[in-house]
Amino acid sequence: MTLLRRLIASGMMAALFGAGVFSCAWATEITPPAKINQDQYLRGSFTMERYLAGFDKPLRSNGDFILSPTTGLVWRTLDPFPGTTVLDDHGITRIDDQGNRDALARGDQFRQFVELISAVLAGNWQPLEQRFDITKSTTADNAWQIILTPKDNTAIASQITKITATGNDYVQTIQLEKPSDDHDDIILADQGLGNLPLPPEFAALLTGTVK
Amino acid sequence: MALRASIWAFCLILMATFAGWQLHGGFTGIDADFLSLIGRENTDPDKPKSNIETVRHLLARDSQQAIFMLSHPERDTLEKAASEFADKIAAMDGTQNITLPGRNNDRFADLMALYGPYANGLLSQSDHTRLTNGDGDALYRRAIQNLYSPATTLSSQSLKQDPFALLPVFLSDLGSKLGSGNDVIARGGRFYLPVMATLSADLRSTGTDPRWVKGAKAALQSIKDMTPDLTTAKTGQIFFAQAEATRAKADVQRIAIIATIGILIMIGLVFYSPIPLLGALLVVGSGLIAGLAAVILIFPTIHVIALVFGASMIGISVDYALHFLVLRTSDGSPRDRLRKIKPGLSLGLLTSVIGFSALSLSPTQLLAQIAVYSVVGLIAAYCSVLFLLPLVPARDVRASSPIRKLHDLLQIGLNRTFSTRPTRLIASTVIIIGLVLAAALIPGNNDIRQFGHGNDTLISDAREIADILGLGGSSTFLRIDGDNAQSRLQTGEAVRHALSPLINDNRLGGLIGLSDLIPSIARQEENRLLVTHELYDRFGAALSDQLPVNITAPTMSADYLVPDERATMILPEIDRLHSGNSDIIRLRNVMDIDAIRAAIAPINPVTLIDPADAISAQFSQYHFWAWVALGGALCIAAILAVSRYGLRSGICIFAAPAGAILIAVIGGYLFGIPQSFFTTMALFLVFAIGADYVLFLAESRNSNHDDDTRLAVLLSLISSVLAFGLLASSSVPLVRDIGSVIAIGLVGAWFLAFWMTAPDHEQGNTP
Repeated sequence: MTLLRRLIASGMMAALFGAGVFSCAWATEITPPAKINQDQYLRGSFTMERYLAGFDKPLRSNGDFILSPTTGLVWRTLDPFPGTTVLDDHGITRIDDQGNRDALARGDQFRQFVELISAVLAGNWQPLEQRFDITKSTTADNAWQIILTPKDNTAIASQITKITATGNDYVQTIQLEKPSDDHDDIILADQGLGNLPLPPEFAALLTGTVK
Repeated sequence: MALRASIWAFCLILMATFAGWQLHGGFTGIDADFLSLIGRENTDPDKPKSNIETVRHLLARDSQQAIFMLSHPERDTLEKAASEFADKIAAMDGTQNITLPGRNNDRFADLMALYGPYANGLLSQSDHTRLTNGDGDALYRRAIQNLYSPATTLSSQSLKQDPFALLPVFLSDLGSKLGSGNDVIARGGRFYLPVMATLSADLRSTGTDPRWVKGAKAALQSIKDMTPDLTTAKTGQIFFAQAEATRAKADVQRIAIIATIGILIMIGLVFYSPIPLLGALLVVGSGLIAGLAAVILIFPTIHVIALVFGASMIGISVDYALHFLVLRTSDGSPRDRLRKIKPGLSLGLLTSVIGFSALSLSPTQLLAQIAVYSVVGLIAAYCSVLFLLPLVPARDVRASSPIRKLHDLLQIGLNRTFSTRPTRLIASTVIIIGLVLAAALIPGNNDIRQFGHGNDTLISDAREIADILGLGGSSTFLRIDGDNAQSRLQTGEAVRHALSPLINDNRLGGLIGLSDLIPSIARQEENRLLVTHELYDRFGAALSDQLPVNITAPTMSADYLVPDERATMILPEIDRLHSGNSDIIRLRNVMDIDAIRAAIAPINPVTLIDPADAISAQFSQYHFWAWVALGGALCIAAILAVSRYGLRSGICIFAAPAGAILIAVIGGYLFGIPQSFFTTMALFLVFAIGADYVLFLAESRNSNHDDDTRLAVLLSLISSVLAFGLLASSSVPLVRDIGSVIAIGLVGAWFLAFWMTAPDHEQGNTP
């Protein structure tokens, strides 16, 4: 039962990992996505459609994001309701439209997670291979495609059954399939690299106090 | 005589073979757990358990857990090492399951399946406060954000059951209440990871716990050898018990060997011949073998303290051998010599058997084992004197023996102390009154924490694990009684409410009770009503607009979550929070016990229980009982003495062992030895040996072997003090205290045996 918080965190982290993996999946045979150096960050916009089994229409949202190997991931939903999710060394924090912060999960495990994404961004396959079976291919329009299937007995396996990502210079689409037959489709656009420091509006989101 | 000797020798060989087979084959375990010392009273299962029963139940359950902490500067290396280590432990016989961070991931689905249907009645404290304060808007916004957040446990199922996403917050809150313990902790440049093993319930009863501990240590060493910079710590009752058992076994071997060698040297110095050594060994050995075989036959495991006591039986059984061996060859055939000492020997045995049989009435298994060991061992020693010793060639005590000379000198000194019978009668009266007063006035100290030796490494490991991981440590708990499960759950909720301020100001580290896992129906009803009014009524329509489905308010008449079998199957922790018809609230890091006591005082029926205090209180009860039993044994001895020796002589003879007990009690008090239940039980031994001394002397008084008997009693004293004096050197405080008390008492018993049986013509200073 001491697992409760960890289990919840794992579920949230698994979802975030799917989102975070967007810029790390490439095949060695094809042009990999642009690497992010330690002094850089990746910025872009997203559209997410959340398909829930038994519901006809998906839950659609869009917004922007920023990912830095050194500080973490900020996922900012702008529409239909503003809200931000931050993943950094300290855990997962949700910030509502009034600036109230809510720590969803805390713990040192998140440092490892940020390191994992960063390692992948640096072109290191090792961390992914420990947790996923990886299948690489090329799509009809010459984009690369990578399918990540969580290995058994990993934290992610209980939350995500498959991650499929496609892209060229950057990841363009991600699909996260869940054990409950739900799935999230994420389309990324307007991506580009910038040099640190982070833009002030994002930097502020990473440093606020949790309420 | 030869036939009886052969039959008896065959019986001894049979018993030795049986004992060896059982012990070396691992069929009989050695138990060093203090829990085994707590009585197992049979009570009505429908009635609330007593404090001590609850303590036994909970500690027995806790004893099924072993906690390892692995540490390394690199997290990946640590996790890899921990995983390999966990696999090794899981593969060991006796391991039920392993908990390791990152494993048990399928549990999340089980938890959601259990709690999901009741989500609208399960509120975290913060959500409850927000809704009570009319701040449902914050929860509504959180629910909306949850719909679109990438970090969410949202699913189609959870959306139907819990559209306002209350359950994840409830579970997160519950996780906080449960405390850490399954996370990797970073501190001082190192990572720390817990590996928790749940052990089979029958591990101890089958005597396989030493094997498990050995295997666990080997696994730890192996993983340390494979992983440079890896450090480990371990804790759990199984490790402490094994360390104590190993230490006690080493003590037993040391004491038995040294005492035996000492006694053999003493006999050698008396007879200048190895043949009496053979006789003494036969008697001592037969007592040890028969006692051990009897305990093994009756009990599935032997407590180490019973073993230690068994080893000390050497000191008593050798009395019987010496009593025969010192007789002069000129006194006639072996049968004639045996006839001379048989009355005294038989009376001595009878008194000892009465004394030790009183122990068997004790509710603790340990004392029952000691009683069986002693009674059977002494009867076997007695039989060996009757059947085997007459076949051993006799040797006379040498006049030039240094011990003979010592004996003669002591006799001169003793004779100077002899008094008239009236004086002895007055002294006897003083002894009897003094004994009653000592029993009543000398304060007892039965704090169980003083009995064990403790293992410094294990204590240090336990502190480190409690400090870094928050595991182990305090075992203080609250017991909630009540007519039914729901009333107990409501009481549990009241307790949490009362103790929350103490958690907030760090006077209490935390607590977890059954009502935290399964709220009472009354609380669920209140929550459901609150959620209906403050969320569904106010924000239900707005939330429905965002969803591809209409949401409806919960039905008040729908089922509520209850602590049934299904819940227990998914939440095995429920078992740890329940004992008989009581609920248990476990407290962590208790810093201010008085504040806790004050906070729960108005809530009934709640009892604050510290296991160590509860066990100590139980031993205090046993302590009182032991004095009553000892008094009963003394009364029987007094009646026997008076009926055999007449009123005046009988009183004096009875007063000798009674006085020895008094000297042991006062001596122990003056030397700072705690007057515990166990030291009181040791007084039974003082009584038994003291009775042997005085009876041997009384039976041989005015006969031609009187001097031989005096020498035999001196030799008995030397051997007994040797054996019990060595017990006093034990590293186990309990054993040390017992040995000290007995050694002091026996010196007094020896002196009083002479003094109280002094012949009438040996009065005043006449030699």
